Amino acid sequence: MGGYKNRILEIDLSASRIEVTDVADEDKRRFIGGSGIAAKLFLDRFDLRADPLSPDNPLIIMCGPLTGTALPGTSRFVACGKSPLTGIWGESACGGNFGAELKMAGWDGVIFKGVSEKPCYLLIEDSHSQLLDASDLWGKDIYQVTDILKARHKGGRHAKVFAIGRAGENLVRFAGIGNDKGHFSGRTGMGALMGSKRLKAIVVRGRGTCEPALADEYKGLRQVLIKKVNEAVPAQALRQMGTDAGMDLGMMTQDVPIKNWTFPPDFDLSANLGGPVLAERYLKRVHSCYACPIACKRVICVEDGPYRTEEGPGPEYETCCTFGTMILNKDLAGVIKANELCNRAGLDTISCGSVIAFAYECFERGIISKQDTDGLELRWGEIDPALKLIEMITTRKGIGAILAEGSREAAKIFGKGAKEFLVEVKGLEAPMHDPRGFHGMGLAYAVSTRGACHLQHMTLYIEQGMSAYPEVGLKSSYKGPLSDGKAQMYLISENLGVPCNSACLCIFVLGCLSATDFVDMLRVTTGFNHFDVRELLESGERINLLKRTINAIMGIRREHDRLPKRLLTSLSHEGCIPDMDLMLKEYYELRGLDEMGRPKRGTLEAAGLKDIISRID
Amino acid sequence: MAYKFPSEEWIKEYQKAINTSDAYKQSGSTWTAGPVCLVVTANPSIGIEKDVGIWLGLHKGVCEAIKIVSLEEAQKAPFVISGDYSRWKQVVLGELDPVQGMMQGKLKLKGDLPTIVRYVKASQDLVQCASKVDTQFIDE
Repeated sequence: MGGYKNRILEIDLSASRIEVTDVADEDKRRFIGGSGIAAKLFLDRFDLRADPLSPDNPLIIMCGPLTGTALPGTSRFVACGKSPLTGIWGESACGGNFGAELKMAGWDGVIFKGVSEKPCYLLIEDSHSQLLDASDLWGKDIYQVTDILKARHKGGRHAKVFAIGRAGENLVRFAGIGNDKGHFSGRTGMGALMGSKRLKAIVVRGRGTCEPALADEYKGLRQVLIKKVNEAVPAQALRQMGTDAGMDLGMMTQDVPIKNWTFPPDFDLSANLGGPVLAERYLKRVHSCYACPIACKRVICVEDGPYRTEEGPGPEYETCCTFGTMILNKDLAGVIKANELCNRAGLDTISCGSVIAFAYECFERGIISKQDTDGLELRWGEIDPALKLIEMITTRKGIGAILAEGSREAAKIFGKGAKEFLVEVKGLEAPMHDPRGFHGMGLAYAVSTRGACHLQHMTLYIEQGMSAYPEVGLKSSYKGPLSDGKAQMYLISENLGVPCNSACLCIFVLGCLSATDFVDMLRVTTGFNHFDVRELLESGERINLLKRTINAIMGIRREHDRLPKRLLTSLSHEGCIPDMDLMLKEYYELRGLDEMGRPKRGTLEAAGLKDIISRID
Repeated sequence: MAYKFPSEEWIKEYQKAINTSDAYKQSGSTWTAGPVCLVVTANPSIGIEKDVGIWLGLHKGVCEAIKIVSLEEAQKAPFVISGDYSRWKQVVLGELDPVQGMMQGKLKLKGDLPTIVRYVKASQDLVQCASKVDTQFIDE
């Protein structure tokens, strides 16, 4: 079987013991890889009721079968475990070069258990792995530790580094993990989980290759797919403007949240914060993940002024919203500075910016005051207080200690009705796409297995008309602010997006390809006989049900599948809001969930998950 | 009175619609990137024997000139958006967003994509103007 190395490192940090494990071949086909296999391992082998920051909660880092091939968009890998932010299933995928290098070193993934007595890092050089002392690295930011470890382990191939910053060390619940400075597992607090294990970094060098099962067919397919991606306009937009290309388009379609999700579109904001401006004023060069023809990553620099930065990774669209539109800040240089601070600290810019915007609103409404903020005045339009809050959150100083718990917990601590201004689902702050403009995204936020999520499905691309998959019933035109038919659309887009994540294929690349192309990628890489679109979608359903079962065991019920009040409040008289009752009713029926939101017994049986039925009762 | 699309009569009505649109006047007020040409590709089965270009001389929120041009002339514009008749019909009817159409490959763009993205609202307003023209489609 191609696509897999059939070896997973299993590291007990408490015992400093390194072992090798694997999953059954049939499970590879059933759960594809990435977060699919990680969820299977998690459910089978770990205590789902463990505290997320306890030694019993594993950190599982997995590649997919496509990771490390030279097919387009195959850089990705994922960090999984019980989320310190949400308390349910957590996962966060990442691009860059680490995943491909891990595969080339001969590993499908790494499982970390326990907790190290002192700070450590893992060095993987092909089949040889060792835990090393990281006492001298503790307290360093992600850029520093990356430079140090690359210098320390130079020679031959460049080492690839996956590290936490001070936010992860300090157990900030939305801390992420950074790969080579410019790529992040941002969402769901996997950096805090890593920090709880006193694991500062993973360094990998691999000299192997990732050979496909069907080498001849693979070569031809690769050429065809690269050509398709290069010709796709969304790919061209991403290459020229980065993900922030979405700012101008999103402002038009009411996708962009403004002033903590309370303002209607403001074209002055997008004119100052959009991808064209980023490219014109600050772009030094573009950068790509491993094997990616798109190259959506920006290398930027603010050369002068109060927000001067080093040359480094530029902000994504989401960051331009959270530190731009969400607090009415029009200064893109300030956004870039916030992005650099978050990158260095290892903070998810979505959650961090969202919790800060939430704090701004609480300040405006008198729920918190200067006494609570160490004298900071959190005024809309001003980025400077946000920059200070980033440091306070990172170090858990003052109000930063409260905000570091995430917005849901912060609202509980603030009280005084603060929860009315929250925009999170299951504790995960919503990404920067407004469901009032695109109702299918509302359903996605409500039912996604990691909380409000824009990446576990293809809804963003389909509902906004950037992609279409007629071969699986996803047409090219959906009306955004309509709820009719969206449950069916979302279900299929989820069944397509979930295996995309599990295969560790970049969703931007899939957005330029067809479902059949994706099937071909998996088939030629793995050699799965008779693998087709039907089986692809079935695998998506199976993996989704597996994760939903994990969440059900953790106590997630129908009442948690909801949108916050703010997203159910229209921005204008003529605006409409998602019909959640309709979409949830239809989705539950289509997905085969009971009235409590759990997979029905028959649903699990039909999906080939009979073995986990007993776990849910 | 309905005007045949595409025709000299239709484009004159279209120009009037653009120049009486407050929305476009505002959203296109900083446009100095030059003319935009919309190309309807040849389709002899409905009487379009060769490619038809609709040249829009756009400048600072005003359509200063409009004319039907050959494909060769159309290609001289800094922005050329091409599609077959059925696609343009969808655009005129408001059924296909032109930016979405470009993203999905239903309409082909030649020109600077960041500029188009920056003026996405202006492009929507231009489509709104087209939908205001009483249009007779030649395939009906």
